[in-house]
Amino acid sequence: MTDKLATKLEILSDAAKYDASCASGTAGKRTAGKNDKKGIGSLTGGTGICHSFTPDGRCVSLLKILMTNYCIYDCHYCINRISSNVKRARFTVQEVVDLTINFYKRNYIEGLFLSSGIIHTPDYTMESMVRIAKSLRQDHHFKGYIHLKTIPNASPELQTEAGLYADRLSINVEMPTQKSLNTYAPEKELGEIHNAMGRLKNKITEHKYDKTYSGRRPPRFAPGGQSTQMIIGADASDDKTILTSSVDLYNHKKLRRVYYSAFSPIPDASQVLPLKPAPLVREHRLYQADWLLRFYDFKLDEILQGTKDNMLDMDHDPKLAWALRNRDIFPIDLNRAEKHLLLRVPGLGAQTVRKILSIRRHTNLSWEDLAKMRLPLNKLKPFITVSNYRPPLYLLDKNNLGDMLKKPEQIELF
Amino acid sequence: MKTIKIFQIPGTEEWRREARIALHNNLHPNDILWLVEDSTQSDLFDTLSINKQEHSQNQSCNHRQEKRSHASIAIPKSAIELFNMALCHKDPQRFSLCYRVLWRIVFEDRYLLQRKTDNDIITLTALVKAVRRDAYKMSAYLRFRKIDSPDNETERFVAWYEPEHYSLELKLDFFKTRFKNMQWSILTPYRAAHWDMTSMVLQDTPSRAQYPKEDEVEKYWLTYYANIFNPARPKKKAMLSSMPKKYWKNMPETVLIEDLIRTAESKSRKMIDNAASD
Repeated sequence: MTDKLATKLEILSDAAKYDASCASGTAGKRTAGKNDKKGIGSLTGGTGICHSFTPDGRCVSLLKILMTNYCIYDCHYCINRISSNVKRARFTVQEVVDLTINFYKRNYIEGLFLSSGIIHTPDYTMESMVRIAKSLRQDHHFKGYIHLKTIPNASPELQTEAGLYADRLSINVEMPTQKSLNTYAPEKELGEIHNAMGRLKNKITEHKYDKTYSGRRPPRFAPGGQSTQMIIGADASDDKTILTSSVDLYNHKKLRRVYYSAFSPIPDASQVLPLKPAPLVREHRLYQADWLLRFYDFKLDEILQGTKDNMLDMDHDPKLAWALRNRDIFPIDLNRAEKHLLLRVPGLGAQTVRKILSIRRHTNLSWEDLAKMRLPLNKLKPFITVSNYRPPLYLLDKNNLGDMLKKPEQIELF
Repeated sequence: MKTIKIFQIPGTEEWRREARIALHNNLHPNDILWLVEDSTQSDLFDTLSINKQEHSQNQSCNHRQEKRSHASIAIPKSAIELFNMALCHKDPQRFSLCYRVLWRIVFEDRYLLQRKTDNDIITLTALVKAVRRDAYKMSAYLRFRKIDSPDNETERFVAWYEPEHYSLELKLDFFKTRFKNMQWSILTPYRAAHWDMTSMVLQDTPSRAQYPKEDEVEKYWLTYYANIFNPARPKKKAMLSSMPKKYWKNMPETVLIEDLIRTAESKSRKMIDNAASD
């Protein structure tokens, strides 16, 4: 390897860091076959291993790079837009393949996350990306994880081929509305993005559920599904707009994950952008709301009901905020209440609820048991009853209950 | 009071054998003293070898009993799985704790494991959790370095890793599956595993000297690590909770961390202060 390669790697990993979807998702189990004398790598069946953490607290699981940061588009939030003065570089297909294999053999990574600026045409770009994935799978029998960022207006044939080699495909919507896209990403069409997502969805479900007449499955297609990313706080969209579009994407495009990325200042920024970073708390609250929607049976209306200007409460997490607005259903008896009600108690996660349900079959939970389970007693106090504890009646009626439960949010600056 | 000595590291098999016999003989947990004999200490060697002989005699005597007890006592599979994990913990109390839990499952409460607020179960769960985390971190933070082999055809990789507990055994399958067609050695302070693409050889107390000082690809990994970090959102605490400093010694990229944090603020300030370019 030459040092020219180090320079390229510097530029093209730097350019990739603003994409939040770094995790390697679950895409089933996979190993090199018994008689495969060449194959390398495995998927363990769970989410990918975090092989390191950077000082921004993010998990390093994949080699996340751009194939090139040359780009013919001019999206204002993007460090690689045509009008930006950043240094440019371009990997060859072989360089990306070698880097991936060399990193993998040393146990640095779970696989490759490949994105790219658009060079020449969308098809030209997409074709090079597919060649990288194909070489990893066919020349090296690579069994690790591959995530390809799909170019929305590349030809459907190329997207089909991409799904053959990749575990996950993604297309970034970036902004929740066409109006915002017009301002910030003039070349991007929301309709086109949605169409491409719909095509991916059909292929993914087709592979999963349909069998052909002979009982065989159609060719492999991105078993890890698709994901997307939205940039938060660069445009004026409120949380309702953002979450509404997430719900739509989860329901109609069957996305596995929507990532939220608080806009953070980039070098050589465009004037259209705010200069200040969006508060990280907002990103955090959106993820919490997203979790409530997907794993806690909350409806979007319930999360948004009573919020100010359709923005989530910054002081309390969305579940606590909901509980404070709906005090009449509390206190909830942890020894008797049904699962869906336990899931509504602030301070009880889905895993804790499962634990409680299992313990309950054998014994009655007491206050001391909760302490032993290391649950957040202060937060639970007003909302629950157990065998030897009931909250004092006045607690739930207190006007300043919200303030009492407010935690000064620790967002670190040093 | 019966004294049972465990000679192996981590001692899972020995414990299982002894526990079966003890259970069959109706030995109450309070009547057993479990002792760990560290077989790697050379000054104990003489007494140790004698004990070992006695030990193996006992073992053959009890062989028939053992078989019978195995047939008559049914233990939930989930319990065996938990014991196998907990017994890889460094805590010398692990043997008596596991036996106590086993005893209680058999004679007290078949569903003991589900009593998550029982003190023994809390302790057992804590051991299992610590080992599970340690083993996971091993599969995550272990780094191979390449050795140039004389014939230049087969690549050989070596890693030195210091797990907190006896996690090597738990991860052998993982490494064997993932790096099946690679020759590799994983060295830990207490044991090494060598894989030559067909079979696995274990070796006690290996020398660290087999671990190469450098690797040609490592500098690219460091380049990547430094550049994938976003200086505009430093979260040192979040990083440390997932990757506490005790792991850093196994990971080459961690030499960069202090520097990255120190320069982060000035870097992101520069981005904000710089006038927009267009």
